[in-house]
Amino acid sequence: MAQRIEEERSGRKQAPVIEPGHTFGSVTDQISSIVLNRPTSTGWFIGFGFFFMLTMMLLYALAYLFLKGTGIWGVNIPVGWGFAIVNFVWWIGIGHAGTLISAILLLLRQSWRNSINRFAEAMTLFAVASAGIFPLIHTGRPWLAYWLFPYPNTMRVWPQFRSPLVWDVFAVSTYFTISLLFWFIGLIPDLATLRDRSENPFAKIIYGILAMGWRGSARHWHRYETSYLLLAGLATPLVLSVHTVVSFDFAVSIVPGWHTTIFPPYFVAGAIYSGFAMVLMLAIPIRKIYNLEDFITERHLENSAKVMLATGLIVAYGYVMEAFLGWYGGSKYDAFLLWNRLHGPYAFFYIMLWVCNIIVPQVLWIRKLRTTPAALFLISGVVLVGMWLERFIIVVVSLQRDFLNSSFGMYYPTRWDWMTYIGTIGMFLAAMFLFVRILPMISIFEMRTLLPEAEVKE
Amino acid sequence: MSATLHINQSELAAPPVMATLGQRSLVIGLVFVVVCAFGAFTSPHTFYSAYLTAYMDWLGVTLGCMVILMLQHMTGGAWGLVIRRVMEAAVGTLPLMAVLFIPVVLGIPYLYAWAQPQALAKDVPLQQIAHSYLNAGGFVTRAVIYFALWGAIAFFLLRWSAEQDTSSQHSTLRFRVVSGPGILIYALTISFASVDWVMSLQARWVSTIYGMMFIAGQVLAGFCFVVVMETILSKRKPMSEYLHPKEIHDHGKLILAFVMVWAYFNFSQWLIIWNGNLPDEIPWYLRRLNGGWAAVGLALVIFHFVAPFVMLLGRQFKRRTRTMVWIAAMLLVMRYVDLWWNIEPVFSPTIRVTLWTIACPLAIGGIWLWLFARNLRQRPLLPLYAPHVRELLEPAHE
Repeated sequence: MAQRIEEERSGRKQAPVIEPGHTFGSVTDQISSIVLNRPTSTGWFIGFGFFFMLTMMLLYALAYLFLKGTGIWGVNIPVGWGFAIVNFVWWIGIGHAGTLISAILLLLRQSWRNSINRFAEAMTLFAVASAGIFPLIHTGRPWLAYWLFPYPNTMRVWPQFRSPLVWDVFAVSTYFTISLLFWFIGLIPDLATLRDRSENPFAKIIYGILAMGWRGSARHWHRYETSYLLLAGLATPLVLSVHTVVSFDFAVSIVPGWHTTIFPPYFVAGAIYSGFAMVLMLAIPIRKIYNLEDFITERHLENSAKVMLATGLIVAYGYVMEAFLGWYGGSKYDAFLLWNRLHGPYAFFYIMLWVCNIIVPQVLWIRKLRTTPAALFLISGVVLVGMWLERFIIVVVSLQRDFLNSSFGMYYPTRWDWMTYIGTIGMFLAAMFLFVRILPMISIFEMRTLLPEAEVKE
Repeated sequence: MSATLHINQSELAAPPVMATLGQRSLVIGLVFVVVCAFGAFTSPHTFYSAYLTAYMDWLGVTLGCMVILMLQHMTGGAWGLVIRRVMEAAVGTLPLMAVLFIPVVLGIPYLYAWAQPQALAKDVPLQQIAHSYLNAGGFVTRAVIYFALWGAIAFFLLRWSAEQDTSSQHSTLRFRVVSGPGILIYALTISFASVDWVMSLQARWVSTIYGMMFIAGQVLAGFCFVVVMETILSKRKPMSEYLHPKEIHDHGKLILAFVMVWAYFNFSQWLIIWNGNLPDEIPWYLRRLNGGWAAVGLALVIFHFVAPFVMLLGRQFKRRTRTMVWIAAMLLVMRYVDLWWNIEPVFSPTIRVTLWTIACPLAIGGIWLWLFARNLRQRPLLPLYAPHVRELLEPAHE
């Protein structure tokens, strides 16, 4: 009753984090049966098959790249950082939402995260894996990429530690490692549930090995909670540091459009922005197809939409400050950059960037749209396009015309650029298809803690 | 059950110590106002920079409390309810801060290169920006707009809060309707204000993160001020009844977070400008890392970041006002030092402490605290009809 009075006074009704009527048993049944009992549908095979084909296209594009070299791409002087860097930044940004949901929201005691953290973390892993491909192949000789690591060698090759590109190697590899560990440790209790419930002997063995002997004893839980909290603490700075280092890749140079001090927080906000857009684009179809509306409720959609709105506004703040201070500072190169963005050959993309990233998402102020799945799905798609355009504008338009008129040039991506990019989307989604089929996509035991049964009475 | 809990609003009045605090602050304030008035006439060249520094410092506390208040309305949570009245009393000083802006306007010819004909004559690009943007007319017009917007936010939040004290029938939705856009308005206005008032001191220097550094600093100042006040209040009734270690812990965590955010922004700005090493930008740091100012910069690194960061990592440390108050007080001083390090090197290449450096913050602060204490005493210390407040008054379950 108290809650109802509260809702009336605050003028709105909030959807619950988990629909009423569930018990410990029903939660476990419903989530684990998706993996164990539900027959694999034709739709799943078609979807997986399609994205697997795109993955094959990626491998084809990569094989040809290794054969011929980066000349098959559109990159050249002056635009030496083309699609490879645009896509790298885009993918790694998408990964950030998973870490934010799993680590920061855990520390902030936001229990609504419990139903979306698992697949958001999986999303992080696959996104970081997709991101990792790009700088590797952009080196031109990926088989020598280990030179990026500082290891004792007879060639006297030592990485330049003043370069943020080297920091990237450490930032991204740490990020992937911590994300993987975090995801796996969070999975252990659920893997044990699947082991115990699985009837297929082969699956039982696999899940059994992965569950690492979990018996659910009080000591196991105690150690689990401690390690999970510690990993959350370790992962929290990574949400900021990884994209900060990525922003340094640009900002420590002196290229107009790259060298600006707001880049670190603005990149981090943009990363979370695009990450939540991806979370929504995945969550909305998944909850529909697997009938998970009880667990991923309107509340989750609305909260994610609010995070998108807030981070989108920080991104908008970045655009405003950059444009205003570019004019205010009176540097002719900065002024030209602004002119070139607005009137240059890529002006259409710059305008679209404003439309996709700033103008369209303002509809999220309307509560009705924040709780309408179809609308959210569309808006998220628009934001993902917008954030990709943002990176394109930053990378390409800044390089394309910088200080010397004689070195102005254009950048046109080739079909190999597109095949690689679309191929990574295929790989990402194929991996997501596999994930929802073989692992519990919602954390079973964390969902159980949200039930009224779980409340400890004093 | 909370419905059976009967509390008289008079039992929630601020303790008499606030009256004492107000009186003594007023005396100190008035004494130093006289000193400052003397300074404004006798040595305007050294006075106005110190005044601007002190003004930005106390404005930071005021606006910082306003942002935290809006955040509290947006997010809810016991951490904000227990300090809501402290923040509201601080926001209530905004009219005073608007009046105290007048000396800054009077000081324009002494403070800003864009208002000095001989400086303008040497610098053609500065002439252009001074013609179109940085001129006294624009400066004052924009300041009026900023204060009007801040005043409007403060007016509605305080007025509705007063209405909420009379009955439980009012919806809390309107607080959020103002607070959501309010945070946005604050972020934009303070960014432009920091460009006008502080960044433009160093003519033609630009840093796009500068506004965010002010936001982080002001929110931090707000939280630190609140912790100092809750330390005084929680020793006495009524706050001793409802301020639990859990809420103090939350305030400690938020201070830690903003200490880190402040350091993150400052480090980012430094790294990017240092690595670029461009003639337009690097003089800002050269000024502040030579002539003795480097020691101040180092003190900022240690006492504005390293020391509070290390100490605030401890859980027990954050759960007691007895320990938190020292960190909060130190950070409040460091906020002033930070602004001093930002502003004063423009006027003096070597480190300089004048009488006004000490007198101005005491003059403004004395009057500010008097008004704050007066505001605080006019209302019960808890918004009794706000949602979830009664849960606070029940015995703690820890």
